[in-house]
Amino acid sequence: MAETEEVLKAAETAAETAVTETQTADSTAEAAAAAAREKKARRKKLAGFGIRLVCFAVLTVALLTYATYVLTPKNDYGICSMVTLYRQEPDTIDVLTVGTSLGYAGINTNVLWKEYGITAYNLCSAEQPFWVSYYTIQEALKTQHPKVILLDAKPSIYTRDYSKRGRTILSTFGIRDPINRIGAIEACVEKPEDAVSYILGLPEVHSNYKKLEWSDFVFPPDNGGRGDSWKGYIESDVIEKHEKPSVVWNSTKRNMNAREEEYARKIFELVNEKGVLLVLIGLPNPDYANDHMYYNALWSVAAEYGITGINYNDPNMRFGLRYTTDFADWQHLNVKGAVTFSRKLGGDLQTWLNLPDHRGDPKYDSWEECAKSWYSKYSEFESSAWEKNPLDWFDPEELPGPPMEGEFPAPPMEGEFPEPPAEGELPGPPMEGEFPAPPMEEEFPEMPPEGGPPENELPIQDQEGEVS
Amino acid sequence: MSILSIEFLLLAAGTLAVYYLLPLKYRWIALLAGSAAFVWFSGWQSMAHLSAAALVMWGGGLLLRRKKSRLLLGTLLVLDLGAMAFLKYYPSLSGAELILPIGLSYFTFQSAGYLIDVYRGKTEAQKNPLKAWLFIGYFPQLSQGPISTWKEIGPQLMEGHRLEPEKMVSGFQLMLWGMFKKMVIADRLAATTTALLKGEAMPGWFIAGGVILYTIRLYLDFSGGMDVIRGISRMAGIELPENFRRPFFSQSVAEYWRRWHITLGAWFRSYLLYPLTTSRAGIALSKAASKVLGKKTGRSVPTALATLLVFLLIGVWHTANWNAVIFGAYFGIVMAASTLLEQVWKTMRTTLNLPKKGWMSPVRLVRTLLLVLAAQYFAFTPDPATGFSLMSGTFANWDFSAFADKMSGVMEPLEWIIAGVGCLIVLVIDIVCERKIDIGGKLAATHFWIRWPVLLLLILAIVVFGIYGAGYDGAAFLYTQF
Repeated sequence: MAETEEVLKAAETAAETAVTETQTADSTAEAAAAAAREKKARRKKLAGFGIRLVCFAVLTVALLTYATYVLTPKNDYGICSMVTLYRQEPDTIDVLTVGTSLGYAGINTNVLWKEYGITAYNLCSAEQPFWVSYYTIQEALKTQHPKVILLDAKPSIYTRDYSKRGRTILSTFGIRDPINRIGAIEACVEKPEDAVSYILGLPEVHSNYKKLEWSDFVFPPDNGGRGDSWKGYIESDVIEKHEKPSVVWNSTKRNMNAREEEYARKIFELVNEKGVLLVLIGLPNPDYANDHMYYNALWSVAAEYGITGINYNDPNMRFGLRYTTDFADWQHLNVKGAVTFSRKLGGDLQTWLNLPDHRGDPKYDSWEECAKSWYSKYSEFESSAWEKNPLDWFDPEELPGPPMEGEFPAPPMEGEFPEPPAEGELPGPPMEGEFPAPPMEEEFPEMPPEGGPPENELPIQDQEGEVS
Repeated sequence: MSILSIEFLLLAAGTLAVYYLLPLKYRWIALLAGSAAFVWFSGWQSMAHLSAAALVMWGGGLLLRRKKSRLLLGTLLVLDLGAMAFLKYYPSLSGAELILPIGLSYFTFQSAGYLIDVYRGKTEAQKNPLKAWLFIGYFPQLSQGPISTWKEIGPQLMEGHRLEPEKMVSGFQLMLWGMFKKMVIADRLAATTTALLKGEAMPGWFIAGGVILYTIRLYLDFSGGMDVIRGISRMAGIELPENFRRPFFSQSVAEYWRRWHITLGAWFRSYLLYPLTTSRAGIALSKAASKVLGKKTGRSVPTALATLLVFLLIGVWHTANWNAVIFGAYFGIVMAASTLLEQVWKTMRTTLNLPKKGWMSPVRLVRTLLLVLAAQYFAFTPDPATGFSLMSGTFANWDFSAFADKMSGVMEPLEWIIAGVGCLIVLVIDIVCERKIDIGGKLAATHFWIRWPVLLLLILAIVVFGIYGAGYDGAAFLYTQF
């Protein structure tokens, strides 16, 4: 009996222990399960948070990118010419001018089209240094394969190693390709860390909210109302009287800024590598006397790469430019001067490169459209106007006489330009109706008074706007 | 490195990323590394001085734990505060040029407070020198505070925190709010202060308006920076003490100083005011004064005198010139008078049957604002003569005929509109918060499709209308120089 009781007791105790152990195991298991559930819930919570964070970041970047687009000035010279370049039909530009404001003010693409059928485009910006030209050319060559690139020689005189803030924005903010854009920005800034704010864009342009217009909010970007057919020429109606610079035409050189030279060389290597003809161009400007030695240095560097150029500041180059009436300021040709110069340039390009005449080809209708629009505002610059009154246009002393021996422009390098005219086959006088015949001495009317003819005799419109 | 610079924000983001990647136990090391990087980039002099201060604090704390010695405490405090005083005031007295380490005042007060707390037994001495360094070198608070005690932030810094989405969102919101106050409004109003100091003849309304706008600007600049600092810390799970609590809603100057630069006031109260008033000399003075002025007024004499001293010190802590003395003395006198005349005011209120609330609240509010504004003439002017000249000019020539010209001479109309709208937004938010509605908390807890547009608008406002970038130097904080 006692033994049975003991056994029963032992069994009871064992059962109790088993229950307790089961209960403990249960609560441990419950705790573990709860911990596992909590961990799972936390992982789910964090995953949800991560997804929302990524979505918010994407939205923020999209919003700020759009804000940068809205606030970036699109009308400013440099940005607008790059923006409009992307709207040109691929492989339609035969003459691409790259360089400073002298380019966009001096080369009238409408004259080149109307009188020669040349499809030209000015991809220029104010004070554009060679490091910007380098990236600009790379960008342009993605969609265009011009017969010739005219590289403005003006940057050869610049002494700064970096671009000023405003110029950096004008030169680089229109470039689409991020690699070229970042490259151009990094080349422009004084210190590497300064590039970040330009690359982001918004830190540099955010204060432009003061100047916003409705056209800034839409796509594609407006180019100051110039339209898709615009070819990068910006006229100035201002007339500022200057005198022809007195230049000692020697071959003395002055060293260019090292950075300008470095990037000039890069440009020359690039065009040679791509097989694109590049010609240096010295646009006429009244301040040339200070520039001459730098231009010589640039020509000398270019010669190492088999590249040459045309310097229209050469006093022997006479094409009727009138320094008293044809300039808007000490650097830039005004609308009349640009017409005179562009006629000369077009003639030279045709002579040397035999560029195709695209007039009548519907593929190049945008040039026709642009020229038509321009001439509707500046009808006084139609050819017939100066044919009637050549002396209202040209400085008689600047008209080309028969070329003298030895004054011929340097012939192009073999394989680049067409064969130079054989001796004796000098360019004859202009064909009737194209250029005015150079007036014979006895045909000269009374010389205009010193200081140029009275204003009311000039076929110049109201002076508006200025070229930076 | 300004706390609004891209470099600082990248450093903060990088530190947070590393913080949450490390195991909980080692997360404080991420804060230490980020802080060390920040101090290092501020200059080796900052690193050297801060490290020396940390060493003195750590070693001193351990010694005080071993032996509670007043002499030792005094020596340590002289070393600590003496170094700060030397670096701050020697250049202006001697004309010498010394490089001020970043956050000099803030980490000095913090380390001094730590030593006193260890002495009092309120805080355990920290055995790890690196943790001691982190306590005073924690990078978000080096630029402009807040001045924290070990009890407030020590454990938070050292123990790792789990990533809490709610705190991340709330901290991010607070940071954006601070950037909005500082960059969109405060920096924009800097032009108004510049206009006042041009030395030209100005109509009285122009001066008065300029002083008011300076005060608003100072509040938004300082509180905006604080919000950025607290927001970044909250994202790491660290809650720093509040330093501003809508001070312009104060009903008395005393309340104003409990709402403005809260941690500075708290530091002086804990470590100077209370020890002075409860010292043997304080008690003796209280007894002597009670015999002459009565018990109630007599008891407040030590407090009044200690208050005067505290505010004089607060004044010169800002800068070492006579303007600072006038600023500090002014508030000290106002506060001391308020303390001494408390019984008189009570009797007056009872006699005149003036209500405690109701219409008296706005009257007290306006009175407090006027008292505070009076001091501001000496806060931004270079010398007392200019301050007094502007003060007297405020009451002369209230001719509004040149109003438009004067206003557009300071800022363009669009800028005035932006600043005005910004101030209005801040005012509305402050009024809501004053009614104890946690608008930030509510926004952080709301659905993302309500919260996101608000945050995106805030970001857009900051990046578009913020004063930063080329040509602007307004991103410098007014209180970083301390």
